[in-house]
Amino acid sequence: MMRRTILALASMVLVAGCARQALFVVLPNAEGGGTGAITVDDGKTVTTLDQPYATAESRAGSSAPVEESRAEINAIFGSAIAAQPILPHHFRLYFILGSDELTPESKIAYRAVFDDTKQRTVYQIEVIGFTDTLGDLSYNQALSLARAAAIRETLVRDGLDRQAISIAGRGKRDLLVPTADQAPEPRNRRVEITVR
Amino acid sequence: MKLGLALWLAAGLLIATAGIPRAEEARPIAQIKKVTGQATVLRSGERRTANVGDMLLVKDVIETGPDGAIGITFIDNTVFSAGPSSQIGLDEFQFDSNDFRGAMLADMRQGTLAVVSGDIARSTPGAMKVKTPTAVLGVRGTTFAVQVSGNH
Repeated sequence: MMRRTILALASMVLVAGCARQALFVVLPNAEGGGTGAITVDDGKTVTTLDQPYATAESRAGSSAPVEESRAEINAIFGSAIAAQPILPHHFRLYFILGSDELTPESKIAYRAVFDDTKQRTVYQIEVIGFTDTLGDLSYNQALSLARAAAIRETLVRDGLDRQAISIAGRGKRDLLVPTADQAPEPRNRRVEITVR
Repeated sequence: MKLGLALWLAAGLLIATAGIPRAEEARPIAQIKKVTGQATVLRSGERRTANVGDMLLVKDVIETGPDGAIGITFIDNTVFSAGPSSQIGLDEFQFDSNDFRGAMLADMRQGTLAVVSGDIARSTPGAMKVKTPTAVLGVRGTTFAVQVSGNH
């Protein structure tokens, strides 16, 4: 019994005496949203970290939770965090029924897409067009692509690089608001834009 | 009869080979957004300077010098940023922009890495992993950091 305790203590001292091999930290989500979570699997045990600043480390090949101060975490990861690019952003713009022209509100909202892009040193923009369920499949496929293309033309006209903008149309598949077929729904007449 | 079978097998093999996404491997999976100090990309055994705007391919290894840092954004909107003396292999990456599903494996060999996960981790639980010399990190989202010490 005594011997076992001494052995256990000795192995703890040994592990503690080994250099830290790896450190794992959950960070607060940069732009809101729920807390993230990661699992750390060393082949024997799985450690789940699901709180901001929850930390685990590997020593002698084994991983376990560990306490680490925020100051120390910021010191270790400061350079990596400082190198983080502007995060990708999503935008949604709406169109007039049966048209590739933006609604008056979305014409104003368009500026946010442009302004966001201009903040980036280099950028890629994805524009995906959608329709509501009025009309047949091929009509809506063409309309959704026309909507995406219209946004690309506007972005290019405003000075952005055509090569950096990809477009696609999904027709009346992938409705934002589920409806029956042949249903007018303004919220489905849209483009989804990702700027990164 | 035997020849017929062989032909079918050969045809099947051709189709199967064609199905292996060779073109996929040449498709850019990420773009370099930020570079500080010395940063390089190791591709097919050749080391080249990392420049802002450059595209990265699967199997590329990004590396930073003692004063270097690099920030990249993947096509699924995952964001990686690495601090000094880092080495990270982009071992596996598949992403379908139609349903946002995919898989990703990064090999964190050394240094510091901060991650904001993207569409793959969100749409496909368990599909994003970061391998380190001592443990495999599974990502449920979204923001985390990993340090791998130089001597292990």
